Amino acid sequence: MSKYKLVHYINQFYGGIGGEEKADIPAEKRAGAIGPGLALNQAFGDEAEIVSTIICGDSWFNENLEEAKKTVLEMVREDQPDVFIAGPAFNAGRYGVACGAISEAVKNELGIPVVTGMYIENPGADMYREKVYIIETKNSAADMRKAAPKMAKLALKLAKGEEIGASAEDNYLPNGIRKNFFEKKRGSERAVEMLLAKINGKAYTTEYPMPDFDRVDPQPAIKDLSKATVALVTSGGIVPKGNPDRIESSSATKFGEYDITGVEDLTAETYETAHGGYDPVYANQDADRVLPVDVMREFEREGIIGKLHNKFYTTTGNGTAVASAKKFAEEIARRLIADGVDAILLTST
Amino acid sequence: MSAKAYKVVTNNPLVKERLDESVELYFFEEDTHRDLLERVRDFVHKGYRILTHPLAGSVKPWETPYRSVMITAEKEDKIDISSLEMIEQAIFALEKSKARPVVLNEKVLVDFQLIDLSLIQSALPSAEAQGRH
Amino acid sequence: MKLELGYIDIKGIRFDDYNAIEDGVLVVNPDELVKPVLEDELIKSAHFEIAAPGESVRITPVKDVIEPRVKVEGPGAIFPGMIAKVDTVGSGRTHVMRGMAVVTAGPIVGFQEGIIDMTGPGADYSPFSQLHNLVLVMEMQDNGATAHEYEKAARMAGLATAARVGELARELVPDEVEVFETPTIAQSYSDELKDLPRVAYVMMLQSQGLLHDTYCYGVDVKRTLTTMISATEVMDGAIVSGNCVSACDKNTTYHHLNNPVIQDLFKQHGKTLNYVGTIITNENVYLADKLRSSDWTAKLADFLSLDAAIVSQEGFGNPDTDLILNCKKLEAKGVKTVIITDEYAGQDGKSQSLADADVAADAVVTGGNANELILLPPMDRVIGCLDYVDKIAGGHDGSLRPDGSIEAELQVITGSTNEMGFNRLSAR
Repeated sequence: MSKYKLVHYINQFYGGIGGEEKADIPAEKRAGAIGPGLALNQAFGDEAEIVSTIICGDSWFNENLEEAKKTVLEMVREDQPDVFIAGPAFNAGRYGVACGAISEAVKNELGIPVVTGMYIENPGADMYREKVYIIETKNSAADMRKAAPKMAKLALKLAKGEEIGASAEDNYLPNGIRKNFFEKKRGSERAVEMLLAKINGKAYTTEYPMPDFDRVDPQPAIKDLSKATVALVTSGGIVPKGNPDRIESSSATKFGEYDITGVEDLTAETYETAHGGYDPVYANQDADRVLPVDVMREFEREGIIGKLHNKFYTTTGNGTAVASAKKFAEEIARRLIADGVDAILLTST
Repeated sequence: MSAKAYKVVTNNPLVKERLDESVELYFFEEDTHRDLLERVRDFVHKGYRILTHPLAGSVKPWETPYRSVMITAEKEDKIDISSLEMIEQAIFALEKSKARPVVLNEKVLVDFQLIDLSLIQSALPSAEAQGRH
Repeated sequence: MKLELGYIDIKGIRFDDYNAIEDGVLVVNPDELVKPVLEDELIKSAHFEIAAPGESVRITPVKDVIEPRVKVEGPGAIFPGMIAKVDTVGSGRTHVMRGMAVVTAGPIVGFQEGIIDMTGPGADYSPFSQLHNLVLVMEMQDNGATAHEYEKAARMAGLATAARVGELARELVPDEVEVFETPTIAQSYSDELKDLPRVAYVMMLQSQGLLHDTYCYGVDVKRTLTTMISATEVMDGAIVSGNCVSACDKNTTYHHLNNPVIQDLFKQHGKTLNYVGTIITNENVYLADKLRSSDWTAKLADFLSLDAAIVSQEGFGNPDTDLILNCKKLEAKGVKTVIITDEYAGQDGKSQSLADADVAADAVVTGGNANELILLPPMDRVIGCLDYVDKIAGGHDGSLRPDGSIEAELQVITGSTNEMGFNRLSAR
C-alpha cells in the first residue's frame, strides 16, 4: 500500500532558519520533513509521510498576504498532497494566523483537506476555528509530543475520507458545529463527576458552553455635554506617521497613546493608519475620516463639548483576539478615568 | 378597563371556539406561527408584558402552525425587556429545524389545535388566581 | 427511608396459556392479560406483541415505557395515587423485573411520535432497544371522547398492565439485591456524612397540559409547588409519566423508576458527597409559575444548606427557561450547579442549542443534538403503525420512504436524548 502524501507548512523558527530577525524570509520549499514534521512522520507510522516542507517567515506571510498565499498555494499544488498540515503554532500569534490563513486557502482553493494546530488563545484560533480543523495544543512547543499524534490521527482520517467525529473525540477546537457522539459514561455519571470537580475547585469542561453575549450596560447619559471632556478611541489603527510604536497591522498585541495637544487636523503628512484589514487609501489621505479630530475641535470651539481630551488611544481591531482587546480596553479605561475623561467617542472601521 | 388582567393572542380557531366567551382574545386566523409570534412581539414593543412562555413545551415550534400567547390586558409605559428577550428567542427557535410535518390533514391540524388549547388552558387557573401586577 | 430493590433478571418473553416467570423467561397469557384493558370502554381494541433485542422490529408510536415492579414488603403499592392507594411508598422491599418493559403504543393524537427499533442504527440510540418488550398496542374508540380521556385510558392501561405483570415476581428470589437509604436532615449531619459536600438532585417535571403532564402520587404536577420527595419513593413509582410528545427527551415512567441521577448520586453517597435530598419542580406554561417554582427550588436548597445540586430537565422549548431559572437562582445562593439538558442545534448543528441561556450555567451535560439526522432502515415487522411517522416530530418531508426506511431527526426515537443523563450520547 502506498503511503498518503502530506505537505507541511512551518515558520522560519521551526524551520531552523532563525527567530524574529529572520521573520521576513519568503516562502521556500524543501524535500521531506523538517523539525516538527519529524514528530508528525513518526506519528503517521507507515501510513503517511511528509513529502515536502514549506518554510515561511511570519512577517513576510502576514505583510504580503496575497503574494504569500499565492506562492505557498503553488508550492502545495505541485506536490498534490492528500492532506495539508500546518504548524502547530502553539501560542505564536502571527504564526497561528498564518497557519489558519494558508490552511483555509489550501482547503478552499485546492480542495485539499487541511489540519493545523494551536493554543486556544492564539489569535488564529478565534479567526479560523470555524473554517479549518485546528487541533488544540498547549501554549508551548513542549506539547509537541502530545500534539503530533492528535494532528496525525485527524490528518489520516481526512486522507482516508473517514467521517470526522465531534471536537471532543478528534481533539479539534469546537468549530461552532454541534456533533453527536457516544461518551464512555452515561450523562448522569458525567454530571456527578462534573459536580464533584466543580465542588472541589478542579478543572472541568462543560459539554455545552453557553453563548457569551458579553453585554455591557449603557452608562447614564451625560447631563451637560458642554462641560464634558471627551476622548477619542479607535480600533481603526490611526497612528502618527511612521507608526512609532509598531502597532501590528493585524492581531495587535498593543495599543498606542498619542498626544494631540494643539493638533487641529490630521493630515496625510502627520497621520496614517496601521490597519491591514481595509483599504488604507482614504484613511491615509485624511485620518480624520477614522479619528475625527477636526470635527471634535470644531465642537470644542462652538462649546458643544467641554473639551477634547489631549490624548487619543488606538489599536487595530483586525484579527485581534477578544482577550487582547479586553486587556487593552481595561488599561485604556483606567487611564481615561484617571485623567477625568467623562465620555469617549469610539470609532471603528 | 377590561374585566380580566390578561388577554390571549392566538391564531388557533379552537381557542377562539372554546375560550371566546370567557377570555378576551385577539384572534388572527390568517397568521402563520411566525406571524403570530411577530404579532406578540409588536404587543411587547407597545408595552404589553408576556404572561405565558411563547414556546410550547416539547411540541416543537416548527411542527405546529398554532400558537396562543397570554399577555397583559393593559400596556405599560415601558417595554418589558424580559418579555422582549423571550419572544425574540422564540422566533429564533422557530427557524432552527428544517423538519416540517408533511401531511397536515384535518385530523392532525385539529390535534395541534387541541394541544395548543390545552397549553393555554393550563395557564388559566394561574392567571385567574393572580391579581394585576 | 430504606428500600431494598430485588432484581429478577428477565431474559425473554413468550406467550402461552398461563402466566409465570420460568428460568428468567416471562410467560404471559395475552388473552387473559388484555381482558382488564378492554374493560375500559374508551379502548376499542388492544393486543400484546413481543419484541426482543436484535429482532428486526420497529415499535411506533410509543406512548410510555414502564418497568414491572411489585411491592413485597412495606407500606403501599407500586404507582400510588394512580392505580394503588395513595399510601406513602419508598420503604421495605420491592421486586423489579430487570431487563424488560411494558411498552404502550398506539395513537392518541395524529402527530404522535416515538420509535423504538430493536436492531439497526436506531437501536444504538434508545435504551429500550436493549430490553425485552411486552408491547400493549391500543386503539381508541371513535366515540367523541376527548383526547384527555384517551390519554388517561392509555396511561392507566399501561400502568395497570405493568403492575399485573410485576405481581409475577412477588414470590421469586431476586438475582441481586440493592439497598438504598435516604437520610433525614438529622442523619445527614451524622459523623460519617457531616464533612461531605451536601448535594441535592433537582428533578424538573414536564407539566403543561394534554400530553405534557407528569403525576406525583396522582397529583397533576402543574398544580404543585416545588417540593421534596424521597428518592426511594421515586423507585416505587411515585412519579409517573403522562407525557406523549417529544419522544427523545420525555421522561418515561421507566426513566423515573430507574432515574440515573438518583442511582449515580447514591453510588457516591457517603464517599465523595452527601446526597441529602431530592427536589421536584414543575415546568409550567404560565411565567409567574416558572418564577415561583424556581424561587422555591432555591429556597429549598437553602433549607437543606446545600453546597451543590444537579438539575435534570424534561422536554424542549419553554422548559429551557425553567432550567436556566433554576440554575441561575441556585448559583446565586452559592449552590454549585450542574445541569443536564439536550440540544436543538439544527440538522447542521450550527444553531444555538437552547432556547434560553445564561453564563451561570457553566457546567452543562448534554444528551446530544436532537435535530441530527438518522436513517432508519426498514424492519421486517412493525408493531403499531407507520401512519404517523411522516407527522411525528422530527419526521420531515419524505421521511417515510416507499421501502419502509425512515429518514428523520433523532428526536423521533424514544429516549434518545434523555435529559436525566440516561444515555452515553453527547455532543460537542
